[in-house]
Amino acid sequence: MIARVAENCFWLGRYLERAESTARVLGVTHNLALDAELPPEQCWRPVLITAGEEPSFLERFGADALEDPAQVEAYMTWDDANLSSVVCSARALRENARSIRDVVSLDAWEAINDLYLYLRGERGRADWVDHRQGFYTRVRSGTQLALGLMRSTMLHDLGLDFIWLGVMLERAAQTARLLDVHHHALAGAPGAVESAVWLTILRACSGFEPFMKRARGQVGGRAVAGFLLLEAQFPRSIRYCVHAAHSRLNAIRPPERVELPGAESAARLRALDAWVAKLGADAMDAGRAHDVLTRVVDEIAGVCMELGRELFGVAETSAPPAAATVAAPAVAPVQSQTQSSADAPPAPAVGSESPQG
Amino acid sequence: MSQDVRSSETLLPSRQSLFARYPALPATYDELIDERGEPRPEFRRVVEFLGQQTPEQVRRSQALADLALLAQGVTFSVYADSRGSEKIFPFDLVPRMVSKTDWAHLDRGLGQRVRALSAFLDDVYGEGRILKAEAGAARVPEALVRGSKGFVPSLVGVKPAGGVRIHISGIDLIRDSGGVYRVLEDNLRTPSGVSYVIENRLVMKRVLAAAFDQTRVHRVDHYPTRLGDALRSVAPDEAGDPSVVLLTPGPFNSAYFEHSFLARMMGIELVQAADLFVSDDRVFVRTTRGPRRVHVIYRRIDDAYLDPEAFRPDSLLGVRGLMRAWAAGHVTLANAPGNGVADDKAIYPYVPQMVRFYLGEEPVLEQVRTFLCDRDDDRAYVIDHLSELVVKAVDEAGGYGMLMGPEASTAQLAEFRDRIVAEPRRYIAQHRVELSSCPTWDNEAGRMAPRRVDLRPYIVTGREGPWVLPGGLTRVALIPGSYVVNSSQGGGSKDTWVQK
Repeated sequence: MIARVAENCFWLGRYLERAESTARVLGVTHNLALDAELPPEQCWRPVLITAGEEPSFLERFGADALEDPAQVEAYMTWDDANLSSVVCSARALRENARSIRDVVSLDAWEAINDLYLYLRGERGRADWVDHRQGFYTRVRSGTQLALGLMRSTMLHDLGLDFIWLGVMLERAAQTARLLDVHHHALAGAPGAVESAVWLTILRACSGFEPFMKRARGQVGGRAVAGFLLLEAQFPRSIRYCVHAAHSRLNAIRPPERVELPGAESAARLRALDAWVAKLGADAMDAGRAHDVLTRVVDEIAGVCMELGRELFGVAETSAPPAAATVAAPAVAPVQSQTQSSADAPPAPAVGSESPQG
Repeated sequence: MSQDVRSSETLLPSRQSLFARYPALPATYDELIDERGEPRPEFRRVVEFLGQQTPEQVRRSQALADLALLAQGVTFSVYADSRGSEKIFPFDLVPRMVSKTDWAHLDRGLGQRVRALSAFLDDVYGEGRILKAEAGAARVPEALVRGSKGFVPSLVGVKPAGGVRIHISGIDLIRDSGGVYRVLEDNLRTPSGVSYVIENRLVMKRVLAAAFDQTRVHRVDHYPTRLGDALRSVAPDEAGDPSVVLLTPGPFNSAYFEHSFLARMMGIELVQAADLFVSDDRVFVRTTRGPRRVHVIYRRIDDAYLDPEAFRPDSLLGVRGLMRAWAAGHVTLANAPGNGVADDKAIYPYVPQMVRFYLGEEPVLEQVRTFLCDRDDDRAYVIDHLSELVVKAVDEAGGYGMLMGPEASTAQLAEFRDRIVAEPRRYIAQHRVELSSCPTWDNEAGRMAPRRVDLRPYIVTGREGPWVLPGGLTRVALIPGSYVVNSSQGGGSKDTWVQK
């Protein structure tokens, strides 16, 4: 597969997952804020932290704005300057898909385009104002439809492997950041409010029902955190996602084909997978959770950097990707809308140019 | 009078036809309606069917069509639009129809024209026989060829792998007031628009399926397969199973939709220049598993941006060494570099004599009489009659660099007079042809109105010779009274129905 195309696939997967995850976190938090009897700031600040957007938000709107849920929600949904916002993720998703229209199936493309047009048009705005939960549901079903269509209408070859690798690494990092934001709560005594928060975290990962089937009991911090970190059969747990990412990378670059590029990426992801596989329930002990989660996020960022260097040929181009840090999700090196046609290289139209000998 | 009553009875069993009191344009041939206001006999059933729709039905179909195009992302980018937004190419759902007889004539004429133009390119990049032919009837002036911006002297002597230079051409036809088809210009470099031909048909089938019951129409969706076959047929001999790619400038190019569309339909990879590199005069694509050889490049990038080594040393675009690889015969470029000399508007007047010189045949297709400002007599005539003429820069397209004399202001006329005197070789002039009209839905008035159209058929040439797609892009000037059909200037398109 062409290296640039592989990179677009990978970022398509990441943005797809990010759009969905952000929409889900916002919807769940919106719901929590209605009756949790928590100050708005305690509900909404974690959303900004998880997205790595707290500093930019505070700088632009000031600390008082944290008391205004509508402002945080609008910032995380519509803000064109916030690259983690739902609308920016959907746009980057579409730009990546549009760059590889020959790879993405027509059905999947239409789903992606439709989501973008919904967010850009009046329907999206109207739903957001009149029917907030419906809006978030619509965004999530749009991304899920795209993901499902890719799996059911595209060749299961390298293109889909790279998309899925992106989805899984993004999802693992999202779950890790979400847990990390609340790691201090692991030390606290369980109470009604704490349970509401942990339930919210579960729901933010679509994990409530699966958790109840496994835990069959009290919703406590240790149990929820352990589930989201370790449950091998839950498709949003860190263990599941890292392992799934590792198998995709093995399909992309079979371990026995040592002559192929990608040795360092594969080695790092293999090590992370092995390390996460060995973690026990004590990994979510109050004193340890933050370090474990930070290591997960850092290692994923490292793997992404190696992928860029070894497989996407980023080193050969002028724009290296911004590496992820503990707090901030990585942003694709290419295809953001800020690069309008005005900035694009002069794209020749038919007959508008002529050679000079 | 009685004739009128009868015709409206046959046309209108239940209600007034949308074509009733069709406001035909003076001295203009209409594609579907004759001078008595009747549907042309071969298109009668389709016209009557469409005429029986209610304005609400047409509005709904039109809205559905627009929605389908937007949902599928059938869009083009507009350079002048600083937001870089994508727009749909406006689509009108009244089909432009071509009768079986007319098409047989066009099919023959287009094939002939492409064969002659190919022979001309082989000749000017080879022996140059036509430049040395006897003065008069046959000869094309050498100075005109050498002075063409599309002529690349460094390519003289290069024989392209596969032997074909004009793999894909789009030849623009118009129809004069007598209904005669005439070639307006040739596009032999990277003609675009064929994806709209295919998409327009898909949309028509979706929103006006019943209209297809009224006549038999040639399909157009096999174009990508024919193109793919043609491209593989001209691979360098050394290629066993040829690897074909489509080279695009990228998603910000106005024709990106078409590039991705054709790549998908042919099942070939869409590459950008940075994905390719040349080593030992062979072209490779960078993949996640290392370099892979490329044999045929359907390039949708202009000559000037193909290879910085050959054309523009300052350019960051292109693939360094590509021209060397092509000259060495290790890669096929479709279309071949250097074709611009043959579709230069100042070379166009000589195409009929090329047909006679190379093929020994009489030209099938008519052209439009053209004045070359480079010739003293012609220039004097042009200067004197500027307000009656259409003046075009020989190296511009898309309706840019053009003067419509009859509509121009005094200042515009003066400006073009100065430009012509300063650079006569750059300009040609023609009398304005009253382009034929075709009924087009006027959404505001809720009725059919005549709008002027042209037709761009596409011709694919592989090792076996030219093949003409039975159909083409009908562009329509949606602005009332306008003669300019370009999408950049208020033009739209129609589905083109070639009857079986």
